[in-house]
Amino acid sequence: MSAARPRISRRSAPLAYAFLTLVALLALTPTVWVMVSSLKTGTQIFTGAGVLPDPVTLQGYIDAFTQIELHRYLLNTLLYATLGSAGAIAAAFLAAYPLARYGFRGRGTLVAGFSLALAIPVVGLATPEFFIMRELGLFDSRVGMVIFYAALQFPFTFVVLRSYLLATPRELEEAAAMDGAGYFTTVFRVVLPLTRPALATVGVVSFVQIWNEFFFANLFLISQEHQNVQLALAGFRSQFGFNVTGAIAGATIVMLVPIVVFVALQRQVIAGLTAGAVK
Amino acid sequence: MAVSLLPGAALFATFFLVPLGVLVVTAFSRWGGLDLAWTGLENYRRMLDDPVFFSALGNTLFYAAAAVAVQVPLGVAAGMVLALRPRGWKAFRAIIFVPFVISGAAYALVFSMFYNARAGLLNNALAALGLPGDRDWLFDTATARWAVAGTFVFVVGFVMILVMAEIAAIPDEVYEAAQIDGASAWRQAVHITLPLLRNVIGTVILIRLLVDIGMFDVVFILTAGGPDDATATLALYAYRAYLNGEWGYANAVGSTILVVGVVLIVAVRRLFRVGEGR
Repeated sequence: MSAARPRISRRSAPLAYAFLTLVALLALTPTVWVMVSSLKTGTQIFTGAGVLPDPVTLQGYIDAFTQIELHRYLLNTLLYATLGSAGAIAAAFLAAYPLARYGFRGRGTLVAGFSLALAIPVVGLATPEFFIMRELGLFDSRVGMVIFYAALQFPFTFVVLRSYLLATPRELEEAAAMDGAGYFTTVFRVVLPLTRPALATVGVVSFVQIWNEFFFANLFLISQEHQNVQLALAGFRSQFGFNVTGAIAGATIVMLVPIVVFVALQRQVIAGLTAGAVK
Repeated sequence: MAVSLLPGAALFATFFLVPLGVLVVTAFSRWGGLDLAWTGLENYRRMLDDPVFFSALGNTLFYAAAAVAVQVPLGVAAGMVLALRPRGWKAFRAIIFVPFVISGAAYALVFSMFYNARAGLLNNALAALGLPGDRDWLFDTATARWAVAGTFVFVVGFVMILVMAEIAAIPDEVYEAAQIDGASAWRQAVHITLPLLRNVIGTVILIRLLVDIGMFDVVFILTAGGPDDATATLALYAYRAYLNGEWGYANAVGSTILVVGVVLIVAVRRLFRVGEGR
């Protein structure tokens, strides 16, 4: 940070803190209250007595695993989020490299198409997506869900990776070509290591997005054993209405995963979202 | 090289291009997934005759407007204040950003408790302040839409970080002259920084509109569109048609969602001259 940058003055700092605190409270109060409530007894939750848990109990967390079997949903979601992101990244990396480096006919069209897909409100496509998943035999299957999520994340990953490659110098690739390296040797031995920071960035963002996905999971997954955590959360209100502590504890775990990912990998998340939005 | 394009192109064609084609074409038919009968403009005619469609459209635009009116100014202000680097700005950035990574389904659960008429924090807090605290916020037609909007308008983290990134990209020289003149940090923020944020403000409004046009998760789980369709969105309206096996009709609504999206995008791009130089 250079000296030329305006910094807040000592006199106006209190006003800034008051504003920032207000924004933080508006955004977080309900969520924090529910997370704290996950340590309450069912009786205390139903009567709404007191803000802090009294007595503190872990019964909700025990119920979340023994009664609701949250671990099954967590495992499914972990599978969708890691493999779906990996698939999107693999496809996007392989496509982004030639579309960033080579001029050929149809390049402009492909780039425009892949990028514009990012601007489609995909929920509008519900029925056709359902139809295609069914016709391809991918409906209500874990493999199908992974493939679908890879496709859903492809436009975002592609746009970020391609713009990263456009901003990366190509000397190393040219040197590799002089040494007689083939296309895929160059891609995997030279370009891939250079792209690692961008891969990490899109990987983290895409993981969180798939972790949080509800709409298509709701559309494609009917068997309970294939469902993700977001479907479990939505089901809590009806199916597990009797066990409100378990539901809240489960929801807390489900929310904490992306929060922990974000706090641990802040730099990547922020870089990824910024790159995806501005390009 | 062509081989390398193949996986991406296949995913794109299968899950974006073909569905888009199916959507637009079958919107002119009666279709339940198997038998298809061409019906011309009938689906669109039915849509325009249905008051529920218009309330869903109105609610969708209401949510979009609420986000643009509350979330964008709050997020821009938070980003601008944090860019002045008050002590502890990184902690504030993290705290304000955290709600953005929480899913719609989780928010639905959180707010179903928060707004709960009897045991919810909102009513208890109001009662503690001596105000009437017995309203059922989500199931009262007078407040339901506002209560739903309240679940997302304060989630300003995304706007905030984009604004901060944009400010970080402003060259130092821009501020140097102002500092020689002795302008305060606030004056510089308002007179130098803010005008340079036009592009990014346009961008966040665009992204926000795209999200809101397809709004579904929170509404579906929290209220299922009720009471009396007071909170229903276009996406939820299309989903109901899909559940009824009226796929052609669902796709006419789906096409409308895409068209509304395109119209809003073009309008915002024009208005904010997004993508043009400073």
